[in-house]
Amino acid sequence: MRRARSLADLVLAALCLWAAWYHTPPGALLRTAFARLFGARSATPPLLSYYGAGARTFQLAEPLPPRAVLSPGAALGLGAQSALERTSPADRAQVLARAGLRSGSADALGDWIGREAQRQGSREAAVLSLFCGEEAARFARERSGSGRGGASLEELARQLPPLYADRVALAATALTLGTAYALGWPLPDSAQVTSPFGVRAHPLLGARRFHSGIDLGIPVGTPVRAAAEGIVRRASDDRVSGRLVLVDHGSGVSTVYCHNDALLVAPGEVVTRGQVIALSGNSGLSTGPHLHYQLDLPRGPADPLLFRAARPPQLASGGTEP
Amino acid sequence: MPVPATDPPAGALDAAARLADRLRWFFLPLALCALVAVGVHTAADVVGEIILRMVDAADAAFDGLVSRWSLTAPLVDLVGPSQRIFFARAVALLWELAADALLALPMLGYDERADEVKRFRELAAKARVRPTTLRVAHPFATGAVALAGSCAVGRLLEGTLHFGLRGAIGSAADALARGCALAAVLGLVGFIAWRAVVHALVRADARSDRIPFRRARAFTVGLPGALLLLPLALAALRAAPLLSFLR
Repeated sequence: MRRARSLADLVLAALCLWAAWYHTPPGALLRTAFARLFGARSATPPLLSYYGAGARTFQLAEPLPPRAVLSPGAALGLGAQSALERTSPADRAQVLARAGLRSGSADALGDWIGREAQRQGSREAAVLSLFCGEEAARFARERSGSGRGGASLEELARQLPPLYADRVALAATALTLGTAYALGWPLPDSAQVTSPFGVRAHPLLGARRFHSGIDLGIPVGTPVRAAAEGIVRRASDDRVSGRLVLVDHGSGVSTVYCHNDALLVAPGEVVTRGQVIALSGNSGLSTGPHLHYQLDLPRGPADPLLFRAARPPQLASGGTEP
Repeated sequence: MPVPATDPPAGALDAAARLADRLRWFFLPLALCALVAVGVHTAADVVGEIILRMVDAADAAFDGLVSRWSLTAPLVDLVGPSQRIFFARAVALLWELAADALLALPMLGYDERADEVKRFRELAAKARVRPTTLRVAHPFATGAVALAGSCAVGRLLEGTLHFGLRGAIGSAADALARGCALAAVLGLVGFIAWRAVVHALVRADARSDRIPFRRARAFTVGLPGALLLLPLALAALRAAPLLSFLR
């Protein structure tokens, strides 16, 4: 009896060690240490990638330019197309064949994701189904207990074995880009870009600095609208960014609105697309009334204009902010 | 020509069982340590969202402070929205490593006794009579993370078997994977996890006994560790989807 129990204990111990060795950061540290000790090559992923079930591992480079203002469904299709464009032709063909699609166009993918979202109950499960297969999406949905409800991609990805990690990262990329493509604009289209995204000479500090958003010149008191629905993560005031609002739109996408005159929302508040969240101003380190609008993706700030079909007018020169 | 004699399968199994029995002293502490480490990671992964909110609040306060002086104003950009996730995960990692140091590593000192159930009862009774934060918090946190660890191991096994065998045996893979996962979870809770709680009780008892017991001061014994571990323990309970194995 004791020996039989010992055998069972040994099997269970092996399971525990397997899980700890391959699926925890301390296991990763040990694997790296052993690889160094014995001069072997280690394929251990970075320690921080063990969090969020790998769903926020944003892998890909530049997004595809949108051709027109997109509905959320079409935006997700373009996000999926953008993610697929960066995979190998064989992988792309496999994904399309599994979904029964002849074309990998944004429209076809958007329609497929829309239908699948109706069936699976959420767009996250639909995108997971596209990249990992229907069976994996069903398995993740059932095990997460979400039924037809909306579990996050991270919640779904936690249910899947690690062999799906790369596909989950692609699904996360599609959702991130799709969310970014669906963003509206915080101001009327007539607002001019007074300072673009990227490295530029700082109008106040002089030195060349990275400008993490774009400046839109507008009079004080202009309503600033949320680019999409989301949760206000921050509504604060400091002497550089002035009165700022940070809205988290999910899927690793957030937008920031700086130098406002008045904030109309509080942290934790849920905002809808187009809701007035602030009145623009000239607060913080600024040379004139404007809105600093910033788009953040998991890999860092991105140019908001890359995700917008209709470009606002630009001033030839000038600058109003940090 | 005579056929060479081969051992029956039962003989090989018996030899393996004998070997496993001789090696218990070696693999049981490793198993306890690994199970608790898996549970701690599962909990740390779940608290990421809470940490993200804390990072947001801390960042707002930090920006408000450093933006007051021109020399420190550039530090406002130190933590942008994109770095929030990095910082939150880094905090989760540090939290996890600290919890591993408090809960998982001591499991390597586990020494099995024949009367484990009796030892557990005695120590639990002593904890009721002479409670300290240490005597209560460490075993509770160990139990919670060991349960979460058992579920995480079960889920990994289920997913691996389900998708690994589906091509070979079709829809039967689902039932097989589910059965194996459930058996693994029950086995881990019944054979491994509770030993981790016993060992946590033993350690907490020994450390509490080093300080003369005074009811007024009992609350402070092991308080810093408890503050670190209890949020993780609660997150671990949230991350232990026992019922999901039956769905």
